[in-house]
Amino acid sequence: MKKSTQSFWNYVKAHPFLYIMLIPGLFFLFVYKFWPLYGLTMAFKNYSIFAGTNPMNAIRASEWVGLKWFRTLFSSSQFSIVFTNTLAINFLKIIWLFPIPICAAILLTSIRLPWYKKALTTAIYVPYFFSWVIIYGIFYSLLGSYGILNTFLSSIGLDRIMFFTDSRFFRSLLIFTEGWKEIGYNTIIYLAAITSIDPTLYEAAKIDGANKIRQIWHVTLPGLLPTIVLMLILKVGYILDTGFEQVLIFYNPAVYDVADIIQTYVYRIGLGQANFSLATALGLFNSVVAFILVVGANAISRRSLGRSIW
Amino acid sequence: MRIKPQYSSERGFTLFAYVFMTLLALVCILPCIHVAAKSISGGTLVVGGQIFLFPKQIQFDTMGYILKKTAFFNCLKNTIIVTVLGTFISMFTTITTAYPLSKPSLRGRRVIVLLYVFSMVFFGGIVPAYMVVNTLGLLDTYWALILPFAIIQFNMFVVKSYFEGIPESIEEAAYIDGAGDVQTLTMIVLPMSTPIIATVSLLYAVNYWNNYFHAMMYTSSSSMKTLQVYLYDTIENGQALLENLYGGAFGSTVGQSLVNITTGGIVAAAVTLSIIPIILVYPFVQRYLIQGITIGSVKG
Repeated sequence: MKKSTQSFWNYVKAHPFLYIMLIPGLFFLFVYKFWPLYGLTMAFKNYSIFAGTNPMNAIRASEWVGLKWFRTLFSSSQFSIVFTNTLAINFLKIIWLFPIPICAAILLTSIRLPWYKKALTTAIYVPYFFSWVIIYGIFYSLLGSYGILNTFLSSIGLDRIMFFTDSRFFRSLLIFTEGWKEIGYNTIIYLAAITSIDPTLYEAAKIDGANKIRQIWHVTLPGLLPTIVLMLILKVGYILDTGFEQVLIFYNPAVYDVADIIQTYVYRIGLGQANFSLATALGLFNSVVAFILVVGANAISRRSLGRSIW
Repeated sequence: MRIKPQYSSERGFTLFAYVFMTLLALVCILPCIHVAAKSISGGTLVVGGQIFLFPKQIQFDTMGYILKKTAFFNCLKNTIIVTVLGTFISMFTTITTAYPLSKPSLRGRRVIVLLYVFSMVFFGGIVPAYMVVNTLGLLDTYWALILPFAIIQFNMFVVKSYFEGIPESIEEAAYIDGAGDVQTLTMIVLPMSTPIIATVSLLYAVNYWNNYFHAMMYTSSSSMKTLQVYLYDTIENGQALLENLYGGAFGSTVGQSLVNITTGGIVAAAVTLSIIPIILVYPFVQRYLIQGITIGSVKG
């Protein structure tokens, strides 16, 4: 024990700058990542922002109320709505969108013209770099009540489809725009995985008389399988952490019943209605479940694929 | 006899690939072209839904209105300041953190790495983060949009694993030549790491540029609005903007220009003007962006 502390200080003395370099990162880490963790105690207190000299100070001054906010939360009907919506929206996204980039990547490999292949890749993944607000603007122009689609529908005597305000269509809008933004990005991940498949496997398959489709079935897909499984585990693991900004930008009171998710609800009751403690309680619930999911996903990935997310 | 059907099934598959991928690419691109066409087309045609992919009765009144009569440039300026300053700060912090942590011999390395991993998977949440920024007096400043995101753990780990891939013998040679840790980093390691630095800088820059939620939450004054907040407000309040225009200051200078400015046109023009910077930069950085995605997937 003593010896190891001694060698620690010897190492620090020999490489002082390595430790000085760590300071800025650790500073930001503690102030902006760990200090808010202390703020989570708000969930167990009757927080009043004016109880102290500043908002963080006020946390200490506020009185403990135990699990009061959690009881309020779990007995409210809104909680089950936002929890169900969070799971429903994200699972629907996975079911509808997950296979598309895999197919797109496989199809791209059979496009031989290099310039055309490059143009296609560029086109499908430009949307990934658009912010959700830009995407909102684009789809508002296309599918809004006075967008091109509805103007067309009403000109031929049909009813307008209110994608943004009709609960029956809103989730489809979320899923479609999610796909529009993300498919290109995911395609490139799978494309990278395909290019790392050993080309001699294809040669061997060809010699055995396998045609293109058989090669995909017997070489490409098995080669892609680890990436597919990893991506799926990641998607499920991060199910509570994704989609917040999209929903926040796209939704409105008319579709709260199908669109309101945990994080948008946290935001509204917390910063909108200044019900800080209740919002923090829900946020803490979200963080804990998300943490378990991500750590679980990582454990599964490490055990089944030998690949750790971090 | 066996060769022919095989050949044609292959042809069919390739044809399907071309058709499917072309359709997918069109689905991605045509909406952007539609919006751009709408932004410079005549007002009555925009309202009548007669603009598809080609602009008609080309006019730049709507664009001019956005650029001259709204806060577009000020918001663009704010976004550029946050993106440039933020990317510099982030890269400095990321490199200075990743380099020591890339040294297997660093004492205390595992504990520090664990801190970063933990902070990556367990969040304090929206409300506590807001309270911290509020307590520090950063609300409504550029710093609120930069400092909380100064180090993204994932990006740091990407740089760290790149540094780990640099052969130790090269760094050892530098030490023998009398270089300290700082010189080894700046003279040897960094010049060898330009691809990863370009890629991670871009990841940070995209993150700062596209940040809407935090800009909305942490700033309140209109002079601090970023481009994303401006765009969102414009889409939500296009109608109100228009009423201002018709009822407001230059209602008397009507003429052709007012006919051209419509709610749909304003939204389209604001979206188009926000996309233009991205499209201009895109060809130069595409290579690094693809690299970034690939690194992300390899590292998981």
